[in-house]
Amino acid sequence: MEATFVIVGGGIAGVSCAETLAFLHPEKSIILLSESSLIKTVTNLHTITKTIIAFDVEESSSNTLNEKYQNIKVVHEEMVDIKDEHCYVLTKNGVQIKYSYLCLCMGAEPKLIPQYKQFPDRILGIRDTDSVEAFLNKLKNCRKLVVVGNGGIASEIVYKIQNTDIDWVVKDNHISATFVDPGAAEFFQDNLKKNVKSEKISKRMRYEEGETPKSGAALGPDWYKNLIIAGASSENSSKNVSIHYQAEIATIITQESENPLKVTLTDGKILECDLIISATGVNARKNFSTTNSLDYAANEGIKVDEYMRTNLKNIYAAGDICSANWQIAKHWFQMKLWTQARQMGCYAAKCMSGHLNNEEVLQDFCFEIFTHSTKLFGHKVILLGLYNGQKLDKRYELLVRTTKGLEYVKFVIQDHKLQGAVLIGETDLEETAENLILNQISLEPYGDDILNPDIDIEDYFD
Amino acid sequence: MVVRQYNEELKYLEKINSYCWRIKKGFQPNMNVEGVFYVNSTLEKLMLEELKNACRPGMVGGFLPGVKQIANVAALPGIVGRSVGLPDIHSGYGFAIGNMAAFDMNDPNSIVSPGGVGFDINCGVRLLRTNLFEKDVYPVKEQLAQSLFDHIPVGVGSKGIIPMNAKDLEEALEMGMDWSLREGYIWAEDKEHCEEYGRMLNADSSKVSTRAKKRGLPQLGTLGAGNHYAEIQVVDEIYDKWAACKMGIEEKGQVCVMIHSGSRGFGHQVATDALVQMEKAMKRDDIQTNDRQLACARINSVEGQDYLKSMAAAANFAWVNRSSMTFLSRQAFAKQFQMAPDDLDMHVIYDVSHNIAKVEEHIVDGKQKTLLVHRKGSTRAFPPHHPLIPVDYQLTGQPVLIGGTMGTCSYVLTGTEQGMLETFGSTCHGAGRALSRAKSRRNIQYTEVLRRLEEMDISIRVASPKLVMEEAPESYKNVTDVVNTCHAAGISKKAIKLRPIAVIKG
Repeated sequence: MEATFVIVGGGIAGVSCAETLAFLHPEKSIILLSESSLIKTVTNLHTITKTIIAFDVEESSSNTLNEKYQNIKVVHEEMVDIKDEHCYVLTKNGVQIKYSYLCLCMGAEPKLIPQYKQFPDRILGIRDTDSVEAFLNKLKNCRKLVVVGNGGIASEIVYKIQNTDIDWVVKDNHISATFVDPGAAEFFQDNLKKNVKSEKISKRMRYEEGETPKSGAALGPDWYKNLIIAGASSENSSKNVSIHYQAEIATIITQESENPLKVTLTDGKILECDLIISATGVNARKNFSTTNSLDYAANEGIKVDEYMRTNLKNIYAAGDICSANWQIAKHWFQMKLWTQARQMGCYAAKCMSGHLNNEEVLQDFCFEIFTHSTKLFGHKVILLGLYNGQKLDKRYELLVRTTKGLEYVKFVIQDHKLQGAVLIGETDLEETAENLILNQISLEPYGDDILNPDIDIEDYFD
Repeated sequence: MVVRQYNEELKYLEKINSYCWRIKKGFQPNMNVEGVFYVNSTLEKLMLEELKNACRPGMVGGFLPGVKQIANVAALPGIVGRSVGLPDIHSGYGFAIGNMAAFDMNDPNSIVSPGGVGFDINCGVRLLRTNLFEKDVYPVKEQLAQSLFDHIPVGVGSKGIIPMNAKDLEEALEMGMDWSLREGYIWAEDKEHCEEYGRMLNADSSKVSTRAKKRGLPQLGTLGAGNHYAEIQVVDEIYDKWAACKMGIEEKGQVCVMIHSGSRGFGHQVATDALVQMEKAMKRDDIQTNDRQLACARINSVEGQDYLKSMAAAANFAWVNRSSMTFLSRQAFAKQFQMAPDDLDMHVIYDVSHNIAKVEEHIVDGKQKTLLVHRKGSTRAFPPHHPLIPVDYQLTGQPVLIGGTMGTCSYVLTGTEQGMLETFGSTCHGAGRALSRAKSRRNIQYTEVLRRLEEMDISIRVASPKLVMEEAPESYKNVTDVVNTCHAAGISKKAIKLRPIAVIKG
């Protein structure tokens, strides 16, 4: 087989890359190599500001991609080797695919707590599609659950699970630390203990797939939306969430009891449960070989330059598998998020297209400012720039405004200039905050009035 | 800012007639000319209350009331006539939004100020007419709204609907609507009904920073700038049958499409880059202003010229944006009604710019002068017979499009001779907003949140209300009040009122 562009991986990065190429080059051949016959597509794209884009992720059969773009061919094979000197890849079944440009978008796999090997039946990593299926099955019989991890997925699991007692073990001194500061965590606390009614009860669409387990793509932002996530306790029992701050799991042993696992935390506390969810992040996937060696960064991602190129000729990488190795803009940093997977996938496509046509490529502006739009505990959350004072080495100040249950606004300010922001609720401040960070206008004259609750600043800077 | 008692401040303000107030010299230091503002009784209350609030002890804040901003502009070098505040004026960066000011091009001290144009350069409004009526559109308005910005057309013209790469962008910045025309997205006659024919000839993309260009390119996988919007509207009232007729509006119920868009991030970057350059130029040329936000440079300096050239590029960019939206609107209607856009009579009635500076000829103290006219949140409104308005509107005066905020009514006005004399042919641009009036009341509480944040060992400030609220918690300067004031004051004339039936965010 042969194609101008070969993309490996059916997750958000890979599919975004293929779709962008299909748009830019309707005449060129594109092969998408995906181990699973299900792929992730971005739907309901909604631009909130210039750089903030909200979207849903849908899982669909790979045929849908063929139907939409005639020049994309999806091949279900697992890539095992890249013959980079001769520009072709080899799959597990011995298929050779020649490429002019190759883009690696295989993503990452869940990092599990080390005790996983001891109790593979009772410890689950949640990261990809298949693991959600397994999780739902196991949860049906679960009365007491321990959740480890403090990112978006852990937060949403705790928020969404019904009828089960939960012990939430977080290594930080507040919840959802990946995304928010202790103040915002406090703002969320009230929502934590509610049993959430699922907005829409719908059965999950299933597609036929073979029996052999395949590595699925990462979850989309709304993976839990239409799922009923309920444990085994009775319908009406209330949900008990206990949070254990600044703790990790030290040891796990089995015991003869209703709750077969006995968990000891690093602070000495002892918990009992019948299931442990490990949602503690991911590592880049590394299950293939190359003729010449690929450069990896310290965090195990494949190094890419400002055009998403690896060190090997005509090989690009995008999404969770890569590590940004260019002069990083002041208000941007890499984080393994759907938002960035999509941005990198699209941008890699644009770079490959530009290089093929010998056109000048300007780096996409989304790498100038970190943005992420998500939902946490039922609230709209927008993160902008150095929203937690990242890179600022504690030399900054915070300006905060909050109304209980309604909004939480935090500005991160250094030298009188806005460096980052957390906007929770319907604040209408997205665009203004984005522009203030990008423009670096001095806010000195306004002082605290920039968030004065009686003044709307949204059109002041028009 | 000079701080005086409210009663003292009032001595510098004089009501000339029911719709117009004068701001005398001395209200702010170094005023070269007087100021003026247009209000009716409702807007007057909001305007004065804003000033009163600012006079409270401890209120020497960064957000100046509109009247003070008008007066600070009156102190800029080279200003002629008066610094004009329009009825929709509200506090803005440097110049208030709704402030216009003209500077004599032949005075070597005259300045150009990015704050007098605004960040969203050439933010503006375009109105398309159709020969459809409400009853045709109402049942399918949801489908229309859905499809308006949905599909990215492939294969029309050689490139994307908006400039997608560095080379296309450069061309679009230089060519404005001529780029859209060349690529096949608009009709040749669209240009006729645009200020400047949709292209500022002094645009020079080499004066635009790479960062601005990057910021101008569409975000990947999106159609474009984002945050522009369009409304499907129906004619609700016709005040001037003859003028409406010239615009192709025959009767009530007729359907129009109003497009709102500007240069967004691109304009922001152009303005920001210029502000940085001008702060340096001010030191070098020893230019003094009352407010640091009024950063400016002499028109004839390198910084001044560079800004005008890059501002023109941003203006061209905005016209390309509005043209792309025009194309999409025509496509969507054609698809829905299975008719060609020509057969639907989807012509551009007019296209106006709100945030822009232009060189124009005006009569000042009986003498013709070449002026650099800054209009920020203000619309050009030229009278009948003016050479710069299209032949179709020579007898009616230039159409002026006034967009309400999303969901409220919009208006079409026409320019008047009186406006030409009083306000350099300028009028309002839309709804306004009163400073110190938030849209929603907030109930600020901190204790627990603060306690948790303090653990982080970072200095924390909290935003708190400082103003004492009095009566009417009205936050907006209602567009109807604004338009009626302009009409009553004679600086423009009401022609048509439009009512939205669907709002589409792009």
